[in-house]
Amino acid sequence: MTGLLALWPRAWSRERRSAATIAAAGLLLVVLMWSLGRILSLAPEPIGGAAQQFAEGTLVTLELTVVSGLLGVLFGLLAAVSRMSALPPLRWAAGFYIWSIRGTPLLVQIFFTFFALPELVPGLQLSDFNSAAAALAINVGAYNAEAIRSGIQAVAKGQTEAARSLGLSPLQTFVHVVAPQGIKIALPPLVNNVVALLKDTSLAYGIGVVELSNVGNRLQAATFLPVPILVTTAIIYLVLTSVLTQVSGAIEHRLDVEQRHEPH
Amino acid sequence: MSLVRPSPPPDQRAPLILAEGVNKRFGAAHVLKDVTTRFFQGEVAVIIGASGSGKSTFLRTLNRLEKHDSGRIVVDGIELDDRVRNLDAIRREVGMVFQQFNLFPHLTALENVALAPRKVRGTPAVEARRAALELLARVGLQEHALKHPHQLSGGQQQRVAIARSLAMQPKVLLFDEPTSALDPEMIKEVLDVMKDLARAGMTMIVVTHEMAFAREVGDRILFFDQGRLLLEAPPDEFFDNQRNDRIRGFLGQIVR
Repeated sequence: MTGLLALWPRAWSRERRSAATIAAAGLLLVVLMWSLGRILSLAPEPIGGAAQQFAEGTLVTLELTVVSGLLGVLFGLLAAVSRMSALPPLRWAAGFYIWSIRGTPLLVQIFFTFFALPELVPGLQLSDFNSAAAALAINVGAYNAEAIRSGIQAVAKGQTEAARSLGLSPLQTFVHVVAPQGIKIALPPLVNNVVALLKDTSLAYGIGVVELSNVGNRLQAATFLPVPILVTTAIIYLVLTSVLTQVSGAIEHRLDVEQRHEPH
Repeated sequence: MSLVRPSPPPDQRAPLILAEGVNKRFGAAHVLKDVTTRFFQGEVAVIIGASGSGKSTFLRTLNRLEKHDSGRIVVDGIELDDRVRNLDAIRREVGMVFQQFNLFPHLTALENVALAPRKVRGTPAVEARRAALELLARVGLQEHALKHPHQLSGGQQQRVAIARSLAMQPKVLLFDEPTSALDPEMIKEVLDVMKDLARAGMTMIVVTHEMAFAREVGDRILFFDQGRLLLEAPPDEFFDNQRNDRIRGFLGQIVR
Protein backbone atom coordinates (compact mmCIF):
# COMPACT_ATOMS: atom_id res chain seq x y z
CA MET A 1 0.00 0.00 0.00
CA THR A 2 1.87 3.11 -1.23
CA GLY A 3 -0.59 5.51 0.29
CA LEU A 4 -1.99 8.95 0.48
CA LEU A 5 1.33 10.74 0.13
CA ALA A 6 1.42 9.97 -3.58
CA LEU A 7 -1.94 11.67 -4.12
CA TRP A 8 -0.71 15.24 -3.82
CA PRO A 9 0.79 17.32 -6.66
CA ARG A 10 4.54 16.87 -7.02
CA ALA A 11 5.00 20.63 -6.90
CA TRP A 12 3.88 20.70 -3.28
CA SER A 13 6.56 21.03 -0.62
CA ARG A 14 7.46 18.11 1.64
CA GLU A 15 5.81 19.77 4.65
CA ARG A 16 2.62 20.46 2.71
CA ARG A 17 2.31 16.90 1.40
CA SER A 18 2.91 15.58 4.89
CA ALA A 19 0.36 17.89 6.52
CA ALA A 20 -2.21 17.09 3.84
CA THR A 21 -1.71 13.38 4.41
CA ILE A 22 -2.12 13.65 8.17
CA ALA A 23 -5.24 15.80 7.75
CA ALA A 24 -6.71 13.40 5.18
CA ALA A 25 -6.00 10.35 7.34
CA GLY A 26 -7.49 12.05 10.41
CA LEU A 27 -10.57 13.01 8.44
CA LEU A 28 -10.83 9.48 7.08
CA LEU A 29 -10.72 8.12 10.61
CA VAL A 30 -13.44 10.48 11.88
CA VAL A 31 -15.68 9.73 8.90
CA LEU A 32 -15.01 6.03 9.42
CA MET A 33 -15.95 6.11 13.09
CA TRP A 34 -19.03 8.17 12.37
CA SER A 35 -20.26 5.96 9.53
CA LEU A 36 -19.04 2.52 10.64
CA GLY A 37 -22.35 1.66 12.34
CA ARG A 38 -24.35 2.70 9.26
CA ILE A 39 -22.11 0.85 6.82
CA LEU A 40 -22.19 -2.36 8.85
CA SER A 41 -25.96 -2.14 9.33
CA LEU A 42 -26.29 -2.64 5.57
CA ALA A 43 -24.51 -5.98 5.85
CA PRO A 44 -26.50 -9.23 6.07
CA GLU A 45 -26.99 -11.03 9.36
CA PRO A 46 -25.31 -11.68 11.72
CA ILE A 47 -23.30 -8.47 11.08
CA GLY A 48 -26.10 -6.05 10.24
CA GLY A 49 -27.94 -6.54 13.51
CA ALA A 50 -24.77 -6.13 15.58
CA ALA A 51 -23.51 -3.06 13.71
CA GLN A 52 -23.87 -0.73 16.67
CA GLN A 53 -21.91 -3.09 18.96
CA PHE A 54 -19.10 -3.32 16.42
CA ALA A 55 -18.98 0.48 16.11
CA GLU A 56 -18.84 0.96 19.86
CA GLY A 57 -16.17 -1.72 20.29
CA THR A 58 -14.05 -0.12 17.57
CA LEU A 59 -14.27 3.24 19.31
CA VAL A 60 -13.06 1.68 22.58
CA THR A 61 -10.15 0.03 20.73
CA LEU A 62 -9.19 3.36 19.22
CA GLU A 63 -9.46 5.18 22.56
CA LEU A 64 -7.24 2.57 24.23
CA THR A 65 -4.68 2.95 21.44
CA VAL A 66 -4.59 6.75 21.53
CA VAL A 67 -4.40 7.06 25.33
CA SER A 68 -1.80 4.34 25.87
CA GLY A 69 0.09 5.33 22.69
CA LEU A 70 0.62 8.93 23.84
CA LEU A 71 1.50 7.89 27.41
CA GLY A 72 3.77 5.18 26.00
CA VAL A 73 5.84 7.69 24.02
CA LEU A 74 6.24 9.79 27.16
CA PHE A 75 7.25 6.73 29.24
CA GLY A 76 9.62 5.61 26.50
CA LEU A 77 11.33 8.99 26.30
CA LEU A 78 11.73 9.19 30.09
CA ALA A 79 13.08 5.63 30.31
CA ALA A 80 15.45 6.15 27.36
CA VAL A 81 16.89 9.34 28.86
CA SER A 82 17.20 7.68 32.30
CA ARG A 83 18.94 4.70 30.73
CA MET A 84 21.60 7.02 29.28
CA SER A 85 21.83 9.14 32.44
CA ALA A 86 25.06 9.74 34.31
CA LEU A 87 23.28 8.84 37.58
CA PRO A 88 23.51 5.09 38.30
CA PRO A 89 20.17 4.78 40.24
CA LEU A 90 18.29 6.26 37.28
CA ARG A 91 20.05 3.87 34.91
CA TRP A 92 19.23 0.89 37.13
CA ALA A 93 15.57 1.88 37.54
CA ALA A 94 15.13 2.27 33.79
CA GLY A 95 17.00 -0.97 33.14
CA PHE A 96 14.77 -2.84 35.59
CA TYR A 97 11.63 -1.37 34.03
CA ILE A 98 12.62 -2.36 30.49
CA TRP A 99 13.87 -5.80 31.54
CA SER A 100 10.83 -6.77 33.62
CA ILE A 101 8.23 -5.50 31.14
CA ARG A 102 9.83 -7.00 28.05
CA GLY A 103 10.38 -10.29 29.85
CA THR A 104 6.77 -10.88 30.93
CA PRO A 105 3.57 -11.40 28.90
CA LEU A 106 1.34 -8.40 28.31
CA LEU A 107 -1.72 -10.37 29.41
CA VAL A 108 -0.10 -11.00 32.80
CA GLN A 109 0.68 -7.27 33.08
CA ILE A 110 -2.96 -6.40 32.33
CA PHE A 111 -4.20 -8.93 34.91
CA PHE A 112 -1.65 -7.64 37.40
CA THR A 113 -2.81 -4.03 37.01
CA PHE A 114 -6.47 -4.97 37.36
CA PHE A 115 -6.40 -7.72 40.02
CA ALA A 116 -3.12 -7.50 41.95
CA LEU A 117 -2.50 -3.76 42.16
CA PRO A 118 -5.60 -3.03 44.32
CA GLU A 119 -4.37 -5.63 46.82
CA LEU A 120 -0.85 -4.24 46.91
CA VAL A 121 -1.96 -0.61 47.03
CA PRO A 122 -5.32 -0.46 48.82
CA GLY A 123 -7.61 2.10 47.24
CA LEU A 124 -5.98 1.90 43.82
CA GLN A 125 -8.80 0.14 42.03
CA LEU A 126 -8.81 1.38 38.44
CA SER A 127 -11.71 0.74 36.11
CA ASP A 128 -11.25 -2.03 33.56
CA PHE A 129 -10.59 0.51 30.79
CA ASN A 130 -8.08 2.50 32.88
CA SER A 131 -6.29 -0.67 34.01
CA ALA A 132 -5.91 -1.81 30.41
CA ALA A 133 -4.75 1.64 29.25
CA ALA A 134 -2.18 1.86 32.05
CA ALA A 135 -0.81 -1.64 31.44
CA LEU A 136 -0.62 -1.06 27.67
CA ALA A 137 1.12 2.31 28.13
CA ILE A 138 3.69 0.83 30.51
CA ASN A 139 4.24 -2.08 28.13
CA VAL A 140 4.69 -0.09 24.93
CA GLY A 141 6.80 2.45 26.87
CA ALA A 142 9.43 -0.21 27.55
CA TYR A 143 9.68 -1.08 23.85
CA ASN A 144 9.66 2.62 22.90
CA ALA A 145 12.52 3.25 25.32
CA GLU A 146 14.80 0.86 23.46
CA ALA A 147 13.80 2.32 20.07
CA ILE A 148 14.46 5.88 21.25
CA ARG A 149 17.71 4.96 22.96
CA SER A 150 19.14 3.25 19.90
CA GLY A 151 18.05 6.20 17.73
CA ILE A 152 19.76 8.70 19.98
CA GLN A 153 22.91 6.61 20.21
CA ALA A 154 23.02 6.37 16.41
CA VAL A 155 23.52 10.15 16.10
CA ALA A 156 27.15 10.78 15.14
CA LYS A 157 29.46 11.79 17.98
CA GLY A 158 30.69 14.73 15.89
CA GLN A 159 27.26 16.34 16.26
CA THR A 160 27.65 16.52 20.03
CA GLU A 161 31.23 17.73 19.69
CA ALA A 162 30.21 20.48 17.28
CA ALA A 163 27.35 21.62 19.51
CA ARG A 164 29.45 21.57 22.69
CA SER A 165 32.33 23.39 21.00
CA LEU A 166 29.86 26.17 20.08
CA GLY A 167 29.14 26.57 23.80
CA LEU A 168 25.76 24.81 23.93
CA SER A 169 25.08 23.16 27.31
CA PRO A 170 24.52 19.39 27.49
CA LEU A 171 20.75 19.96 27.75
CA GLN A 172 20.70 22.40 24.79
CA THR A 173 22.80 19.95 22.79
CA PHE A 174 20.29 17.20 23.49
CA VAL A 175 17.18 19.27 22.77
CA HIS A 176 18.33 21.13 19.66
CA VAL A 177 20.84 18.79 18.04
CA VAL A 178 20.76 15.16 19.19
CA ALA A 179 17.07 14.52 19.94
CA PRO A 180 15.67 15.79 16.60
CA GLN A 181 18.05 13.51 14.69
CA GLY A 182 17.69 10.56 17.06
CA ILE A 183 13.89 10.58 17.04
CA LYS A 184 13.93 10.61 13.25
CA ILE A 185 16.03 7.43 13.32
CA ALA A 186 13.76 5.95 16.00
CA LEU A 187 10.55 6.71 14.13
CA PRO A 188 10.14 3.51 12.07
CA PRO A 189 10.47 1.21 15.13
CA LEU A 190 8.20 3.56 17.14
CA VAL A 191 5.55 3.25 14.45
CA ASN A 192 5.88 -0.52 14.53
CA ASN A 193 5.30 -0.35 18.27
CA VAL A 194 2.12 1.70 17.88
CA VAL A 195 0.74 -0.63 15.21
CA ALA A 196 1.52 -3.57 17.51
CA LEU A 197 -0.14 -1.65 20.35
CA LEU A 198 -3.35 -1.25 18.36
CA LYS A 199 -3.50 -5.00 17.91
CA ASP A 200 -2.47 -5.67 21.52
CA THR A 201 -5.45 -3.68 22.83
CA SER A 202 -7.40 -6.86 22.05
CA LEU A 203 -5.90 -8.37 25.22
CA ALA A 204 -7.95 -5.90 27.26
CA TYR A 205 -10.76 -8.34 26.57
CA GLY A 206 -9.18 -10.50 29.29
CA ILE A 207 -10.41 -8.14 32.03
CA GLY A 208 -13.76 -7.50 30.42
CA VAL A 209 -13.19 -4.30 28.46
CA VAL A 210 -15.75 -4.30 25.67
CA GLU A 211 -13.44 -3.48 22.81
CA LEU A 212 -13.54 -4.78 19.24
CA SER A 213 -12.24 -8.32 19.89
CA ASN A 214 -14.55 -8.75 22.85
CA VAL A 215 -17.56 -7.69 20.75
CA GLY A 216 -16.60 -10.23 18.10
CA ASN A 217 -16.07 -12.98 20.62
CA ARG A 218 -19.38 -12.40 22.38
CA LEU A 219 -21.26 -12.36 19.09
CA GLN A 220 -19.75 -15.55 17.78
CA ALA A 221 -20.48 -17.28 21.10
CA ALA A 222 -24.09 -16.19 20.87
CA THR A 223 -24.65 -16.92 17.18
CA PHE A 224 -22.25 -19.82 16.50
CA LEU A 225 -21.23 -18.03 13.27
CA PRO A 226 -17.49 -17.52 13.75
CA VAL A 227 -16.55 -16.98 10.10
CA PRO A 228 -18.46 -13.79 9.18
CA ILE A 229 -17.97 -12.29 12.62
CA LEU A 230 -14.24 -12.88 12.96
CA VAL A 231 -13.63 -11.83 9.34
CA THR A 232 -15.46 -8.56 10.03
CA THR A 233 -13.43 -8.05 13.20
CA ALA A 234 -10.17 -8.65 11.33
CA ILE A 235 -11.13 -6.28 8.50
CA ILE A 236 -11.86 -3.46 10.95
CA TYR A 237 -8.41 -3.98 12.55
CA LEU A 238 -6.80 -3.95 9.10
CA VAL A 239 -8.48 -0.67 8.17
CA LEU A 240 -7.35 0.91 11.44
CA THR A 241 -3.72 -0.24 11.14
CA SER A 242 -3.65 0.92 7.50
CA VAL A 243 -4.79 4.43 8.41
CA LEU A 244 -2.25 4.50 11.24
CA THR A 245 0.52 3.53 8.84
CA GLN A 246 -0.49 6.43 6.59
CA VAL A 247 -0.14 8.93 9.43
CA SER A 248 3.24 7.58 10.48
CA GLY A 249 4.43 7.53 6.87
CA ALA A 250 3.52 11.21 6.62
CA ILE A 251 5.41 12.08 9.81
CA GLU A 252 8.45 10.20 8.55
CA HIS A 253 8.22 12.03 5.22
CA ARG A 254 8.04 15.35 7.02
CA LEU A 255 11.23 14.61 9.00
CA ASP A 256 13.06 13.24 5.96
CA VAL A 257 14.95 16.46 5.30
CA GLU A 258 17.43 14.70 3.08
CA GLN A 259 14.59 13.31 0.94
CA ARG A 260 16.08 9.88 0.63
CA HIS A 261 12.63 8.36 0.15
CA GLU A 262 10.82 10.35 -2.52
CA PRO A 263 7.18 9.35 -2.85
CA HIS A 264 6.39 7.80 -6.20
CA MET B 1 68.94 11.52 16.05
CA SER B 2 69.35 14.57 18.18
CA LEU B 3 66.27 16.06 19.71
CA VAL B 4 65.77 19.70 18.79
CA ARG B 5 64.55 21.86 21.66
CA PRO B 6 61.47 23.95 20.96
CA SER B 7 62.52 27.55 20.36
CA PRO B 8 61.74 30.08 23.11
CA PRO B 9 58.42 31.95 22.88
CA PRO B 10 58.59 34.75 20.32
CA ASP B 11 57.66 37.55 22.69
CA GLN B 12 56.81 38.36 26.25
CA ARG B 13 53.15 39.38 25.87
CA ALA B 14 50.58 37.40 27.82
CA PRO B 15 49.67 34.41 25.67
CA LEU B 16 46.07 33.79 24.62
CA ILE B 17 46.61 30.08 25.18
CA LEU B 18 49.24 28.51 27.37
CA ALA B 19 50.01 24.79 27.37
CA GLU B 20 52.50 23.55 29.94
CA GLY B 21 53.76 19.99 30.24
CA VAL B 22 50.59 18.53 28.74
CA ASN B 23 50.32 14.72 28.82
CA LYS B 24 47.58 12.49 27.47
CA ARG B 25 47.22 8.72 27.31
CA PHE B 26 44.65 6.54 25.58
CA GLY B 27 45.02 3.31 27.53
CA ALA B 28 48.59 2.16 26.98
CA ALA B 29 49.29 4.67 24.20
CA HIS B 30 51.05 7.83 25.37
CA VAL B 31 49.75 10.23 22.72
CA LEU B 32 50.90 13.58 24.14
CA LYS B 33 54.25 13.83 25.89
CA ASP B 34 55.07 16.98 27.87
CA VAL B 35 53.79 19.40 25.27
CA THR B 36 54.61 23.00 26.16
CA THR B 37 53.84 26.00 23.96
CA ARG B 38 51.99 29.33 23.78
CA PHE B 39 49.68 30.92 21.27
CA PHE B 40 49.34 34.68 20.89
CA GLN B 41 46.58 37.03 19.81
CA GLY B 42 46.51 37.52 16.03
CA GLU B 43 48.86 34.64 15.34
CA VAL B 44 48.34 31.87 12.76
CA ALA B 45 49.99 28.72 14.09
CA VAL B 46 50.12 25.68 11.83
CA ILE B 47 50.55 22.21 13.36
CA ILE B 48 51.93 19.49 11.11
CA GLY B 49 53.16 15.95 11.57
CA ALA B 50 52.47 12.40 10.49
CA SER B 51 49.10 10.84 11.32
CA GLY B 52 49.17 9.47 14.84
CA SER B 53 51.70 12.09 15.94
CA GLY B 54 49.22 13.62 18.42
CA LYS B 55 48.58 16.87 16.57
CA SER B 56 44.78 16.52 16.39
CA THR B 57 44.60 15.26 19.97
CA PHE B 58 46.58 18.30 21.13
CA LEU B 59 44.21 20.63 19.26
CA ARG B 60 41.23 18.90 20.85
CA THR B 61 42.64 19.36 24.36
CA LEU B 62 42.57 23.14 23.81
CA ASN B 63 38.75 23.23 24.05
CA ARG B 64 38.60 20.09 26.16
CA LEU B 65 37.02 17.76 23.64
CA GLU B 66 39.83 15.63 25.08
CA LYS B 67 40.82 15.93 28.74
CA HIS B 68 44.55 16.12 29.37
CA ASP B 69 45.89 13.82 32.09
CA SER B 70 48.52 16.15 33.50
CA GLY B 71 50.00 19.57 32.89
CA ARG B 72 48.19 22.89 32.52
CA ILE B 73 46.18 24.52 29.77
CA VAL B 74 45.13 28.15 30.27
CA VAL B 75 42.88 29.82 27.70
CA ASP B 76 42.39 33.57 27.92
CA GLY B 77 43.33 33.48 31.59
CA ILE B 78 40.95 30.61 32.44
CA GLU B 79 42.40 27.35 33.71
CA LEU B 80 41.05 24.29 31.85
CA ASP B 81 39.94 21.83 34.51
CA ASP B 82 36.87 19.96 35.67
CA ARG B 83 34.96 23.04 36.77
CA VAL B 84 32.15 23.13 34.26
CA ARG B 85 31.58 26.86 34.36
CA ASN B 86 35.11 27.39 33.08
CA LEU B 87 34.51 24.91 30.32
CA ASP B 88 31.44 26.72 28.99
CA ALA B 89 33.23 30.06 29.18
CA ILE B 90 36.17 28.68 27.22
CA ARG B 91 34.08 27.01 24.57
CA ARG B 92 32.40 30.33 23.85
CA GLU B 93 35.82 31.87 23.19
CA VAL B 94 37.29 29.00 21.19
CA GLY B 95 35.68 28.08 17.87
CA MET B 96 36.35 24.78 16.16
CA VAL B 97 36.17 23.60 12.56
CA PHE B 98 36.14 19.83 12.04
CA GLN B 99 37.48 17.56 9.33
CA GLN B 100 33.99 16.11 8.73
CA PHE B 101 32.28 19.57 8.97
CA ASN B 102 29.74 18.23 11.52
CA LEU B 103 26.99 20.55 10.31
CA PHE B 104 23.58 19.87 11.85
CA PRO B 105 21.79 18.01 9.03
CA HIS B 106 18.25 18.83 10.19
CA LEU B 107 18.86 22.59 10.04
CA THR B 108 19.40 24.95 7.08
CA ALA B 109 22.75 26.69 6.59
CA LEU B 110 21.25 29.82 8.14
CA GLU B 111 19.89 27.93 11.16
CA ASN B 112 23.23 26.16 11.62
CA VAL B 113 24.94 29.54 11.91
CA ALA B 114 22.22 31.21 14.03
CA LEU B 115 21.62 28.38 16.53
CA ALA B 116 24.44 29.00 19.03
CA PRO B 117 24.05 32.82 19.22
CA ARG B 118 20.34 32.37 19.85
CA LYS B 119 20.58 29.62 22.45
CA VAL B 120 23.86 30.46 24.17
CA ARG B 121 23.95 34.25 23.94
CA GLY B 122 20.18 34.78 23.84
CA THR B 123 20.39 36.90 20.68
CA PRO B 124 16.87 37.67 19.38
CA ALA B 125 15.91 35.57 16.33
CA VAL B 126 15.75 38.47 13.87
CA GLU B 127 19.14 39.79 14.94
CA ALA B 128 20.72 36.30 14.86
CA ARG B 129 19.36 35.72 11.35
CA ARG B 130 20.73 39.02 10.11
CA ALA B 131 24.16 38.30 11.59
CA ALA B 132 24.10 34.76 10.18
CA LEU B 133 23.31 36.06 6.68
CA GLU B 134 26.22 38.48 6.95
CA LEU B 135 28.56 35.65 7.92
CA LEU B 136 27.31 33.45 5.09
CA ALA B 137 27.95 36.36 2.72
CA ARG B 138 31.47 36.61 4.11
CA VAL B 139 32.15 33.00 3.09
CA GLY B 140 30.38 33.57 -0.25
CA LEU B 141 27.26 31.51 0.45
CA GLN B 142 24.45 34.02 1.02
CA GLU B 143 22.36 32.57 -1.81
CA HIS B 144 22.59 29.09 -0.21
CA ALA B 145 21.34 30.25 3.21
CA LEU B 146 18.08 28.29 3.10
CA LYS B 147 19.58 25.02 1.87
CA HIS B 148 20.17 22.01 4.08
CA PRO B 149 23.71 20.61 4.37
CA HIS B 150 22.99 17.63 2.11
CA GLN B 151 22.22 20.07 -0.73
CA LEU B 152 25.68 21.63 -0.48
CA SER B 153 29.06 20.42 -1.74
CA GLY B 154 31.75 19.46 0.75
CA GLY B 155 33.57 22.74 0.24
CA GLN B 156 30.37 24.72 0.76
CA GLN B 157 29.56 22.72 3.89
CA GLN B 158 32.96 23.47 5.34
CA ARG B 159 32.51 27.19 4.59
CA VAL B 160 29.15 27.09 6.43
CA ALA B 161 30.93 25.37 9.32
CA ILE B 162 33.49 28.20 9.41
CA ALA B 163 30.66 30.79 9.38
CA ARG B 164 28.96 28.85 12.19
CA SER B 165 32.04 28.97 14.39
CA LEU B 166 32.54 32.68 13.64
CA ALA B 167 28.98 33.42 14.77
CA MET B 168 30.04 33.09 18.41
CA GLN B 169 32.77 35.71 17.80
CA PRO B 170 35.50 33.51 19.23
CA LYS B 171 38.92 34.85 20.18
CA VAL B 172 40.60 31.92 18.51
CA LEU B 173 39.59 29.38 15.85
CA LEU B 174 40.85 25.80 15.88
CA PHE B 175 40.93 23.95 12.53
CA ASP B 176 41.23 20.16 12.66
CA GLU B 177 42.37 19.09 9.16
CA PRO B 178 39.67 21.25 7.55
CA THR B 179 40.43 20.19 3.97
CA SER B 180 41.33 16.51 4.47
CA ALA B 181 37.82 15.23 3.68
CA LEU B 182 37.42 17.40 0.56
CA ASP B 183 37.79 16.62 -3.12
CA PRO B 184 40.84 18.39 -4.55
CA GLU B 185 38.82 20.96 -6.52
CA MET B 186 37.11 22.15 -3.32
CA ILE B 187 40.18 22.58 -1.17
CA LYS B 188 41.04 25.98 -2.60
CA GLU B 189 37.68 27.62 -1.78
CA VAL B 190 38.07 26.62 1.88
CA LEU B 191 41.72 27.69 2.07
CA ASP B 192 40.79 31.03 0.49
CA VAL B 193 38.24 31.68 3.24
CA MET B 194 40.87 30.78 5.83
CA LYS B 195 43.39 33.15 4.23
CA ASP B 196 40.82 35.96 4.37
CA LEU B 197 40.32 35.28 8.07
CA ALA B 198 44.05 35.32 8.70
CA ARG B 199 44.40 38.62 6.83
CA ALA B 200 41.57 40.06 8.99
CA GLY B 201 43.68 39.29 12.07
CA MET B 202 41.88 36.18 13.33
CA THR B 203 43.88 34.08 15.76
CA MET B 204 44.05 30.60 14.24
CA ILE B 205 45.54 27.23 15.14
CA VAL B 206 45.44 24.94 12.11
CA VAL B 207 46.21 21.24 11.91
CA THR B 208 46.76 20.51 8.22
CA HIS B 209 48.71 18.67 5.54
CA GLU B 210 48.53 21.70 3.20
CA MET B 211 52.19 22.74 3.20
CA ALA B 212 51.72 25.61 0.71
CA PHE B 213 49.09 27.10 3.03
CA ALA B 214 51.35 26.61 6.06
CA ARG B 215 54.21 28.39 4.35
CA GLU B 216 52.11 31.25 2.96
CA VAL B 217 49.79 31.98 5.88
CA GLY B 218 51.50 30.53 8.95
CA ASP B 219 53.40 32.75 11.36
CA ARG B 220 54.77 29.70 13.09
CA ILE B 221 55.01 26.00 12.30
CA LEU B 222 54.75 23.38 15.06
CA PHE B 223 55.96 19.90 14.20
CA PHE B 224 54.59 16.95 16.19
CA ASP B 225 56.32 13.59 16.21
CA GLN B 226 55.24 10.57 18.28
CA GLY B 227 53.36 12.69 20.80
CA ARG B 228 56.10 15.29 21.22
CA LEU B 229 56.26 18.86 20.03
CA LEU B 230 59.57 18.30 18.28
CA LEU B 231 60.13 21.76 16.87
CA GLU B 232 58.48 25.14 16.39
CA ALA B 233 59.86 27.70 13.97
CA PRO B 234 58.83 30.43 11.51
CA PRO B 235 57.88 28.97 8.10
CA ASP B 236 60.91 30.11 6.10
CA GLU B 237 63.28 28.68 8.66
CA PHE B 238 61.20 25.52 8.96
CA PHE B 239 60.80 24.73 5.29
CA ASP B 240 63.96 26.18 3.70
CA ASN B 241 66.56 25.70 6.34
CA GLN B 242 65.56 22.47 8.01
CA ARG B 243 68.44 20.62 9.69
CA ASN B 244 66.45 18.00 11.56
CA ASP B 245 66.69 14.69 9.70
CA ARG B 246 63.34 13.43 10.87
CA ILE B 247 61.51 16.57 9.71
CA ARG B 248 63.46 16.62 6.44
CA GLY B 249 62.31 13.06 5.87
CA PHE B 250 58.69 14.01 6.58
CA LEU B 251 58.86 17.03 4.29
CA GLY B 252 60.50 14.96 1.58
CA GLN B 253 57.58 12.57 1.62
CA ILE B 254 54.80 15.12 1.73
CA VAL B 255 56.04 18.06 -0.40
CA ARG B 256 55.63 17.36 -4.07
